[in-house]
Amino acid sequence: MSTEAPARPKLTKAWTAAEPILEVRGLKTYFPVTAGMLQRTVAHVRAVDGVDLTVRQGETLGLVGESGCGKSTLGRSILRLVEPTEGQVIFKGEDLTRLGAAEMRRVRRDMAMIFQDPYASLDPRQTVGEIIGEPLDIHHLYTNKRQRQERIHELLRVVGLNPNFNNRYPHEFSGGQRQRIGIARALAVDPSFIVCDEPISALDVSIQAQIINLLERLQDQFNLTYLFIAHDLSVVKHISDRIAVMYLGKVVELAAAGELYRSPKHPYTGSLLSAIPIPDPKVERGRQRIILKGDVPSPVNPPSGCRFRTRCFKAQDKCAQEVPPLDTVDGHEAACFFPLQGDER
Amino acid sequence: MAVDQTTITQLEGTPVQYEGGLARPAQSYWSESWERLRGSHFGMFFGGVLVVLAVIAITAPLFSAFVTHLAPTSVNLNDSFAPFSRAHPLGTDELGRDTLTRLVYGARVSLGVGFLTVAIYLLIGGSVGISAGFYGGWWDDLLMRFVDILLAIPTIYLLIMITSMLPLPIGPIIIRHDAFSLSTIIAITVWGTVARLVRGEVLTVKNRDFILATRSIGASNLRLMLRHLLPNVLPVMIVAASLGVGQIILLEAALDFIGLGVQPPTASWGNMLLNAQSYFYHSTSLVILPGICIVLAVLSANIFGNAVRDAFDPRLK
Amino acid sequence: MADHLLEVQDLHTVFPTKDGVVKAVDGVSFHLDPGETLGIVGESGSGKSVTVLSVMRLLQRPGRIASGRILYKGRDLAKASDPEMQEIRGEEIAMIFQDPMTSMNPVFKTGWQVGEPLRLHKNFDAKKALKEAVGFLHKVGIPEADKRADQYPHEFSGGMRQRAMIAMGLSTGPNVLIADEPTTALDVTIQAQILDLLRKVNHDFGTATILITHNLGVVAGMCERVMVMYAGKVAEQGPTEDVFANPKHPYTWSLLRSIPRLDAQEHEPLRAIEGLPPDLINPPTGCPFHPRCPFRIDRCIREMPPLEPVGPTQLATCWVTQAGRDLNEAAS
Repeated sequence: MSTEAPARPKLTKAWTAAEPILEVRGLKTYFPVTAGMLQRTVAHVRAVDGVDLTVRQGETLGLVGESGCGKSTLGRSILRLVEPTEGQVIFKGEDLTRLGAAEMRRVRRDMAMIFQDPYASLDPRQTVGEIIGEPLDIHHLYTNKRQRQERIHELLRVVGLNPNFNNRYPHEFSGGQRQRIGIARALAVDPSFIVCDEPISALDVSIQAQIINLLERLQDQFNLTYLFIAHDLSVVKHISDRIAVMYLGKVVELAAAGELYRSPKHPYTGSLLSAIPIPDPKVERGRQRIILKGDVPSPVNPPSGCRFRTRCFKAQDKCAQEVPPLDTVDGHEAACFFPLQGDER
Repeated sequence: MAVDQTTITQLEGTPVQYEGGLARPAQSYWSESWERLRGSHFGMFFGGVLVVLAVIAITAPLFSAFVTHLAPTSVNLNDSFAPFSRAHPLGTDELGRDTLTRLVYGARVSLGVGFLTVAIYLLIGGSVGISAGFYGGWWDDLLMRFVDILLAIPTIYLLIMITSMLPLPIGPIIIRHDAFSLSTIIAITVWGTVARLVRGEVLTVKNRDFILATRSIGASNLRLMLRHLLPNVLPVMIVAASLGVGQIILLEAALDFIGLGVQPPTASWGNMLLNAQSYFYHSTSLVILPGICIVLAVLSANIFGNAVRDAFDPRLK
Repeated sequence: MADHLLEVQDLHTVFPTKDGVVKAVDGVSFHLDPGETLGIVGESGSGKSVTVLSVMRLLQRPGRIASGRILYKGRDLAKASDPEMQEIRGEEIAMIFQDPMTSMNPVFKTGWQVGEPLRLHKNFDAKKALKEAVGFLHKVGIPEADKRADQYPHEFSGGMRQRAMIAMGLSTGPNVLIADEPTTALDVTIQAQILDLLRKVNHDFGTATILITHNLGVVAGMCERVMVMYAGKVAEQGPTEDVFANPKHPYTWSLLRSIPRLDAQEHEPLRAIEGLPPDLINPPTGCPFHPRCPFRIDRCIREMPPLEPVGPTQLATCWVTQAGRDLNEAAS
């Protein structure tokens, strides 16, 4: 594997014109909070609370936010690994929320997921060959054993692992190698859309770049579309064409990656950007920081109006009364009545 | 099945340079556990004793045909209470039946019931535990409340209640006091603990990401339960079974002893004991020999079971 | 040996395992001056946490210090008795941990726990300790500290708990505060709050701080000096600005080029570090980084370089830079 990822000629090349591969409309996923002997539902965790998103063919849409903002639940709801409460997930023109179990299994040939924890996401009792071969078995993607074996070897090779590792168990591998196995499993069905749920945050720092470069190379090679979920804005900015920022179950800002960094509109995005340390003492010491007060409120009882208002340095009365819609502000979509001006970032 | 090969992207021309060797030595959970078990010499010795007993039990007809030349039920009233001799190495009972032959046949019953019962209760407990833990909700509630009730009734009381109803005709079949029926009955009364253990383990395993990952590639519920949950809860089941054989042998012997187990003239260690107690002063060996057999079998099963538990329990590592 | 507050000399800490002896810390030396902030950076398994646990003498069995000296105000902590260490821990050197969820006892009220070092070391009675504790909770930015002191740890959020841990560490006025990955378990906006607090503590109380992290960005913003560790050994150390501007060890150099930066150009490619993290049971011969090093020379495979000055301010364990080569020039 080359150390240096190929300089990518992508972006600018018309992702704006590309066809949407996935549209999420008014998606809500609530989890019941139960109490008492009879497990009565007393409230709901509003993990995802009305999200609209479009992912275009061939792009990487980054999804950032802090823990509890609902980004992972959104990713899982899209693949229907958790059942959405309300709304539509339209994948290649088909509303996934209406599909039955058998039809959904068919759609799973075209979408895949890469998980955060490379230790938990591989069955410890299966060999690498069994793990990667399982999607091939489920979807009957071979005619004979030899074909299956060849495909497994091919997949191992493509993620940079020795094909002879086929009969090994996951615990024999390091974290980065395991993540490669997880990626090979996701690629096995030859999907066009992959949800990457924090794929590098559990890895050692010196391994992270290998996996980022691998994901980028695979995207170019197989024309993949990614929904890249992470809490680390610097990683998301590196890999994404566009970025959606989530806070307490809602998308608060959506813009092209560079735009979002250069001129954030939502105060939350601004504070998130300023909170990310930059590994350069000269830059870091001269930075203006917006330090937010307090913690993220509970998604069981989110604040009225704008959910960020309790921690926002620009909040006014209006923010408590009305929910700001996700509107276009200077080419960004931002959900804020008082977006950041030039001198505030 | 339609195989659509055209949509599989060919992966030719990808760079071939691999990321490092193996980080840790190659070993599956099973081979590692087996090696640990082999390392326990004490446990392996009693495992060997158990194997010898099992071989004797399985080959009992051969034993009676070629070694003692006597059937376990062949009565010879002229030869009752015979002392140890060449013809009867361990003497005879009040009906002149050869004790050694009867002990060998008794091993069939004891060990057979021991292993068969464990197999049946693992099957029941495993299925109930896996399905309850996997599906959750009302199904889980229903099964687990049933287990609660089962575990609240003393096992021996339940066993006495059921076995005293025998022979019991159910439709065309009649359930009698034979080893297979007894195994099933004992298994039915004791699977609750296993079901609980397995369910608990399923609850932790099913929340691991690999279950979600397997669902994300389109696996069915059956596949998840059989291919992923079962292998991951198997260690718990092995541990639960490891001490089961000894317990069941004792339980079966107790049933025989109170006359509700295997019925004479079929020989079992338990009913030999029952039969011998009237002649305790007259012929002590008739009581002691089946007792020794029971102790030896149960002790071997328990010590070997302990070694198996130590070797296979993932939590003891 | 000038009057350093804390000086660690050639520390070796080992963990015997059934597969062999793990040299978790293998010849580490560093020092800490009063009031300064030292960053220790490394990946998991680099020995950064074990180094400070050795200093605190809090190693989990079977880990033990094999050799080396840990001089605190001239006293060798490696040879101190357990009662002596108990005096030093909490009173002279305080430590806060990565996971604020598990490092507090769930059955005691927060105020009671924060006041515990005062009752132990200063013989305060319960009432006085609680009063002081509330004062410290207030100082670390916990609103309504008097009410919060009466709550249990589970009623606190992660960030608030980390604040309470810092309050507990500060209450006895220690000379050294060791923070082991204090923000790793926290969200970025909460991380920013805690780092801001640590900066303030260092400034207001003059507490010398050792900050352990895997995040180079955190070090850049927080620390005057930095020590980079790899496979239980020191890769390099020096003033933060010099180390970041002109790394003298290829590991530091590669790491800085492999992490995505928020202020980088769009789609600027990352230079990944090839290979796997080192196997600590069978470490590579010579320099442990040599299998992954782009600057490797033959000598690196055979011999471990000593920690020696490279340039006016830095120390590094690298044959290449010790021979006078500049990594930036060598790479281009």
